[in-house]
Amino acid sequence: MTQTIIWTIAILTILGAALAVVLYVVAEKFKVEEDPRIDEVEKVLPGANCGGCGQAGCRAFAQHCVESSPNLDSCFCPVGGNEGMQKVAAVLGVEVAAKEPQVAVVRCNGTCENRPRTNEYGGYQSCRVKATLYSGDTGCSFGCLGCGDCVAACQFGAISMDPTTGLPVVDEEKCTACGACVKACPKNIIELRNKGRRNMRVFVSCVNKDKGAVARKACKAACIGCGKCAKVCSFDAITVENNIAYIDFTKCKLCKKCVAECPTGAIHAVNFPVIKPKPAAEAPAQPVEKKEE
Amino acid sequence: MMKTFSIGGIHPSDSKISKDCKIEVLPVPSKVFISVAQHLGAPATPIVKAGDQVKVGQVIAEPAGFISAYVHSSVSGTVKSVGPRKDLAGNNMTHIEIDVEGDEWVEGVDLTDTLVTAIPEDNKAILEKIKMCGVVGLGGATFPAHVKLCPPPGKKADCLILNGAECEPYLTSDYRIMLERSKEIVVGAAIMKQVLGGCPAVIGIEENKPEAIKAMTAAVAELQASAKGYEGISVMTLKKKYPQGGEKQLIDAVMGRQVKSMGLPIDVGAVVQNVATSLAVYEAVQKNIPLITNVMTITGDCLPMEKQHNYKFRIGMPLSYIAEYAGGIPEAAAKVISGGPMMGKAIANMDATTVKGSSSLLYLTAEQTVRGVESACIRCGKCAEACPMGLEPFLLQKYARNNMMDELEDNAVQDCIECGCCLYSCPANIPLLDIIRLAKGDVIKIIRGRGQR
Amino acid sequence: MDKLLVSPSPHLHTKTSTKSLMRDVVIALLPAVVVSVLFYGWSELLVLGVSVASCVLLEYLITRYMLKKPCTVGDYSAVVTGILLALNLPATTPWWVVFIGAVVAIGVAKMTFGGLGQNLFNPAIVGRVFLLISFPTYMTDWTRPQGFVGGGLDALSGATPLGLAKEGGVAAIESLDYMDMLFYNIGGSAGELSALALIAGFIYLLARRVIRPYITLSILATVAIFSGIFWAINPAEYTDPVFNLLTGGLLLGSIFMATDYVTSPMSNWGGVIFGVGIGIITMLIRYFGAYPEGVSFAILIMNSVVPLINKVCHAKKYGRA
Repeated sequence: MTQTIIWTIAILTILGAALAVVLYVVAEKFKVEEDPRIDEVEKVLPGANCGGCGQAGCRAFAQHCVESSPNLDSCFCPVGGNEGMQKVAAVLGVEVAAKEPQVAVVRCNGTCENRPRTNEYGGYQSCRVKATLYSGDTGCSFGCLGCGDCVAACQFGAISMDPTTGLPVVDEEKCTACGACVKACPKNIIELRNKGRRNMRVFVSCVNKDKGAVARKACKAACIGCGKCAKVCSFDAITVENNIAYIDFTKCKLCKKCVAECPTGAIHAVNFPVIKPKPAAEAPAQPVEKKEE
Repeated sequence: MMKTFSIGGIHPSDSKISKDCKIEVLPVPSKVFISVAQHLGAPATPIVKAGDQVKVGQVIAEPAGFISAYVHSSVSGTVKSVGPRKDLAGNNMTHIEIDVEGDEWVEGVDLTDTLVTAIPEDNKAILEKIKMCGVVGLGGATFPAHVKLCPPPGKKADCLILNGAECEPYLTSDYRIMLERSKEIVVGAAIMKQVLGGCPAVIGIEENKPEAIKAMTAAVAELQASAKGYEGISVMTLKKKYPQGGEKQLIDAVMGRQVKSMGLPIDVGAVVQNVATSLAVYEAVQKNIPLITNVMTITGDCLPMEKQHNYKFRIGMPLSYIAEYAGGIPEAAAKVISGGPMMGKAIANMDATTVKGSSSLLYLTAEQTVRGVESACIRCGKCAEACPMGLEPFLLQKYARNNMMDELEDNAVQDCIECGCCLYSCPANIPLLDIIRLAKGDVIKIIRGRGQR
Repeated sequence: MDKLLVSPSPHLHTKTSTKSLMRDVVIALLPAVVVSVLFYGWSELLVLGVSVASCVLLEYLITRYMLKKPCTVGDYSAVVTGILLALNLPATTPWWVVFIGAVVAIGVAKMTFGGLGQNLFNPAIVGRVFLLISFPTYMTDWTRPQGFVGGGLDALSGATPLGLAKEGGVAAIESLDYMDMLFYNIGGSAGELSALALIAGFIYLLARRVIRPYITLSILATVAIFSGIFWAINPAEYTDPVFNLLTGGLLLGSIFMATDYVTSPMSNWGGVIFGVGIGIITMLIRYFGAYPEGVSFAILIMNSVVPLINKVCHAKKYGRA
């Protein structure tokens, strides 16, 4: 009996030792040489592996940072933000310029009310599938398809579909501006815009390139490309091209003149403090103040 | 032993309700909208402007590139406008709007019914005529016909296959022309086979159309007895199985050869043309009539027998006009399809107009067409059993949902012909083809990108 | 018609659904169920009732309250598992043992993997094997209860044919009449009673195109060939092929359990490999193993290599010879 036990222990010990040697040899032989700084950089990254930086994941981004050091201009981790990039720069011992914080903005206001449905979609609930099939279930062939590819793409739970409007809503607190939703949207409706002073932003909530009358017929809140906003803007921030106005967020001074001027309410101003109730515009009034501070 | 393709396939109900309805000619409406994108490839460039007078058969748009085609006016009258209009998918496309005045044709067109059996000898001139008349494949893909009829250097056609399978349920337009225009189709086949260097021509027809087989066989025999250049044409009866009319499947069925992945039919010596294309070739070469008409089926289980039709239409007629003329959209219809129920397109916009390749207005009821709720895959393998390309859709959709591009390519997603057999046969209602179609596009893009580097 | 419906092609859909497939399996099992109830009477009815009811109830409770997924009771898959489990047990099994079997089959083998379509092993077999190991006395009690017909058929009570062969060798089974076994007289689990009833179910499944024949036929062929070789070498030591085909739930296993969609390979060639594997393992256990019967174990073992088979065996692709 004791002999059996001794034998068992002995054999297992020898076997264990032998295998350990094999493992060690193999590990040494196939060792991959890596810059130790990659590990250090990776440690200060958020670790969400969202791909918002354009790399495959946090480790790939760390490698990219180390490789492009000392010039980190091509590296930005939207999740960690400026603070995170400072940490990365500190690890690598270089300087990095701060970037404006950004947020995803949905540029479509084609709610069920504004944009009546003209047909019914009965296929797989995916914006990409729907977009390759046809123009969508409304008269507007540019607007939100409402199947929620952006919601599925968001790693941070920052986008959700509003069941009453059928449009995605971005939670500004959770949005890290990683840009996954921008890539996921087949209609290019979502844009990353600077967060702006005290989170206040003015933007055109429409991407319809149809002529004014066509766009207006499809959606009450469409930009009709009339150009009134561009005329009233004192800062040259608004351009009208292909029947659609665009506000350059780097030039916009948040004066809100264009908001009052827009006949369809396509220009939205968000997060402005409410001073007085808005005067009723001649066009069907849109709820332009989305959130109060 | 009747031939058919070797892998997969399904047997949906035939539903050829309108097969006994003779082809009627649709009257011309007061206004037509002719799209410049009626073919595969680059949309044509309009060469008329608002205010121009046009005649029937006059070129109004020129090809923009090698794979593109001429577009002709289908009516005579005044061009009202040239601009964007929504096609049947609701997307903007340039259309030429023409106010109809009279019915004056361009010169040199032979509008009589006389059958011209003598085939011109100059192949170059024939090809030029086919090109100038804007003939495109009418089997569904609308690929410019003259391109297919000029094999690239070093490749030789061993067989011209005329596709008379019409394997899609409901459609009967090919069936009707095979009955009513059989001789013209055979002349077209003889022309094409001469252009291809005198290879044999096989007209493949599925067994469920015995009358068409009889008519075509008789036409071939008669022409072979009375005129020159018709030897080597034969009719082949094929087993009924969908998608028999798929190019690759038809080649497999008729010749027993398989086209390599990403390859072209000509690689195995095959050229496939639809019987309707053959008719268009006949009209172009023998009669100088450009492709401005085609035959479409108005059908559906919810239509009474007297409202089932086979119409000869002119391109540019609004679908809503045709539907109205045929007796209106039935109340029970939930979906209107242009093309067959397996590969056709659901119409989002009834104001869209007919194009060269229009083949039907098919009304399906909600009960027939609404998809069931998706449930878990039970791995029954019915999709793989049905796939005529031997793919494994259950696997492809899993990879596609996880964006696994390498695995998708290894499992040949790029070979998918989008026939719909997988989605048709899935008991769990998984949107297999919806997902695979996207992945196929992505993978083909990757493969092409690699080729260019 | 209000608004046009738009969706990608194809616009038609087969009438076959998961539910109709499972319903067909239930229908195919009916002959075996009827025969077993006729010959084993009330006690078999109790086993069937408890098994089916508890499988369905457990599936409902687990999908509804634990997985919080859409309830899958409506697709009959739990009913199939319940019937198969019951047919795999002796008619004398106490109701609480049957219930434990159902808990293991549905709760452990099916739901822990994520429910229908995700399980690696056939739930009914996992349930049966669990009971066989945990309650060997109940599971090998082959006393024949009083049936509605043919009460005097207890010639085999006390052991299954395979059990007899294991104990007493070929000599012990010489008295068995194969014609009897074909029709209604195979001792053992409830579902093994009549080979003919099972074959009727097989034909129905094939005719309805619910299953493909490759798996079943390759199992049967392998068993026949394997036992044929051994029997030819030494008929005194090894039992003959016909005996092996008719006994021990081989038909039940090869027709209804090995062909389970979820736990069998997808491709035809994969099915053949799967079937040959089951056949060989079954015969190895029967001839050389400690248990008299090995179909359940063979199926479970081959279930575990299905992912591997699926990786190796693919359908023949067009134009890629």
